[in-house]
Amino acid sequence: MKTSRLIAVAFRAMSRYKLRSAFMMLGSFLGIAALTLVVSIGQAAQVKMLRTMRQIIGDSSVLVIGGGGLGNASPRTDANRITIDDIDAAVKEIPEVETWDPRQDLVTSARRGDASTTVRVIGQSERSEKVWGRTVSRGEYFDAAAVNGSSRVALIGETAARKLFGNDDPIDAEIRIGSVPFRVIGVLEPFGVDLHGMDRDNEIVVPITTLMRRLTNVDSIAAARIVIRDAEQSDNVAREIRRVLRARQRNFSIATTLQARRIFTKIRRILMLYVPLAAAIILLIGGAVSATLMLASVSERVSEIGLRRAVGARPQDIRLQFLIETTVTTLCGGIGGIILGYAGARLVATRFQLGGVFSWSAVLLGVAASTIVGLIAGIMPAKRAAELQPIDALR
Amino acid sequence: MIELQNIGKTYTRPTGETVRALDGVSLTIERGEFVAVVGASGSGKSTLMNLLGLLDRPTDGHLLFDDEDVADRTVNDLARLRNRKIGFVFQAFHLLPRTSALENVELPLIYSERESIRGRGEAALKAVNLGDRMNHTPAELSGGQQQRVAIARALVNDPDLLLADEPTGNLDAKAALEVMSIFHSLHESGRTIVLVTHDPALAKECGRVIRLEHGHVQSCIEEAS
Repeated sequence: MKTSRLIAVAFRAMSRYKLRSAFMMLGSFLGIAALTLVVSIGQAAQVKMLRTMRQIIGDSSVLVIGGGGLGNASPRTDANRITIDDIDAAVKEIPEVETWDPRQDLVTSARRGDASTTVRVIGQSERSEKVWGRTVSRGEYFDAAAVNGSSRVALIGETAARKLFGNDDPIDAEIRIGSVPFRVIGVLEPFGVDLHGMDRDNEIVVPITTLMRRLTNVDSIAAARIVIRDAEQSDNVAREIRRVLRARQRNFSIATTLQARRIFTKIRRILMLYVPLAAAIILLIGGAVSATLMLASVSERVSEIGLRRAVGARPQDIRLQFLIETTVTTLCGGIGGIILGYAGARLVATRFQLGGVFSWSAVLLGVAASTIVGLIAGIMPAKRAAELQPIDALR
Repeated sequence: MIELQNIGKTYTRPTGETVRALDGVSLTIERGEFVAVVGASGSGKSTLMNLLGLLDRPTDGHLLFDDEDVADRTVNDLARLRNRKIGFVFQAFHLLPRTSALENVELPLIYSERESIRGRGEAALKAVNLGDRMNHTPAELSGGQQQRVAIARALVNDPDLLLADEPTGNLDAKAALEVMSIFHSLHESGRTIVLVTHDPALAKECGRVIRLEHGHVQSCIEEAS
C-alpha cells in the first residue's frame, strides 16, 4: 500500500462529493482568508510604521520638540522656547550623543517667474542629511559654510520642483521664498506621503540660519533630533536633556523611538490578538462542520468501507484515507483562503500605500492552520470508519 | 487450499441472544475446484462465505488457509491475504458509485504491495469483454456489465480463490448466463471458485455441491460433469 495512492483516492472522493467538499472547505476558506489578511496587513503596517517612525524620530535618537505642555498658555512662552544654544549646551554634557540637527519650519509661498505654489520651508543644518537620513537625488547638499554664512541656497522636493519648474531642470535656477531669492542647489530624494497624509515632497530645505534670519526672524527652533550611539541609552539621554533644558526653564517635550515603539507594540498586540481570535473561532466552527459532514459521509459510505476492507485495506488504511480526505479538503479551502486573504491585503495595501504585503509567514500559517483543522476534524470520522467490521459493512 | 476442521461460529445479536450460525463444519476445498454452496437462507451460507473469505474468524475449530491456521494471523495479515489471494464477487455488485469502471477495478491495487499497477486494470476489464466501457460509471452500465466489472475487480490481483456470493441473484437470465460462462472459463483456466447460490440449476454446473442446513453440512455431492 502506498500513501500516494491514498492521496489520489482522497482527491477523487473530493471531486465525487462536490457539495460536501465545498461546505467543508468554506470554514477553512473564510478563517484562513481572515488570518492571511490580518497577518499580511499587520506586517506591512508594522514595516510602514517603523519606517515612518525611523524617519520622524530615528532608530536611535531622541526628538526634542519646542513648546508643548501647559507652557503654551503661559504669557512668557516666547522667552521659554528652545534655541540652538540650549541643545548645544545639553549635548555637550552627554557623551552618548553622536550628532544632532535643529529644525524650524514655516509654510509660505515660493515663486519662480510666474509660477507660484505654497510649500513647507524647513530650516536645517548641514548635519540633517545624516541625522534625518534624507539626501539629494540630484545636485548637492549644502555644507557647514552655507549654514554658518546663512547662504541663500535651497534643496527642493520633487512636488515643489514640478509645480515651479514643470519639466525644466531646477538645479542652479533662482526661486523666491516669500520675497527672498534663493539658488536651488539640489533636488531632495523622493519621500512620498507621511503618516499624516502630508506630501513630504512639497518641501524646500534651506540652512536653518538663513531661515531664522531672513524668513522667520526668530531665534528659537521648533524641534531638534539628537542621534545617540546606542539605542538602548535613549531613555537615559532623554533624562539628561530634560534636566539641562529644565534648568534653562524651557518649554519642551521629548519623544524617543523606544517610547513610540512601545505604543505601537501595544496597538499591534491588540490587533494581533483579536483578529486571529476571530479567525480561530471561524476555523473552529469550520472544523466542527467538517467533522460532522465527514461523520455523515462515513455512515453513508459504509458499504464502500466494507468493500475496501474485503479487497485488502487494513484498518489503518481506512483511517488514513478519511484523515487524508478531510485534511486535503480543508487544506484546499485554506489555500483558497490564502489567495483571497492576500488579494484583500493587496487591496487594503494599495488603498493605504502600505507597500509589499506578501508574507511567507502568512502563507505558512494558513497552510499549517488549515492542515491542523483538517487533521483534528478528521480524527473522529477516521476512527469510526476504521472500526467498522467488514462483514457488518458489506451486509 | 482451504481446510475447515470442526468449525463453529456463534454470533451475539444486539438484543443479547446468541445464534449458532455454523456448528461442527469440516470440509476441504482443493486447488482448482469449482464448488457450489447451497442452502436455504439462515442455513449458514453467508457465515461460511465470510469465513472462507477471511472476513471473519471462527468461534471454534480451525481454518487452514494454504495449510496455515488463520487464528495465528493478525487483522493486517488477513487483509494482505485477502488482497493477494482472494477475489470477491457480491450479489449487489458493491461498485463505488460515480466512479469509472476502470477505477473500480483498480481498487484492490491501491492496497497491493505491487510496485507497478499500470495496465492491470485495463487487462482485467478486457478479460471480461468490457474493454470499451472503461470510463463508464456503474450508473451507465447494465446489471450484467456491472457484475462483470466486479468480476474484473476480483481478478485484478490474480487471486488463487474466487468467492462469489449469489453473483447472479440480481441479474436477468441472459446476464446470469454470461456471468456463469465467465466463471466456467476461469475454472477451466485453473482457478479455484466457490459459488454460493440457492439456484439448484447453477449448483449442478459445479464440480461439487455442499448443502448446508441449520449450520451443518447436510451433504457433499460430487457432480459427474
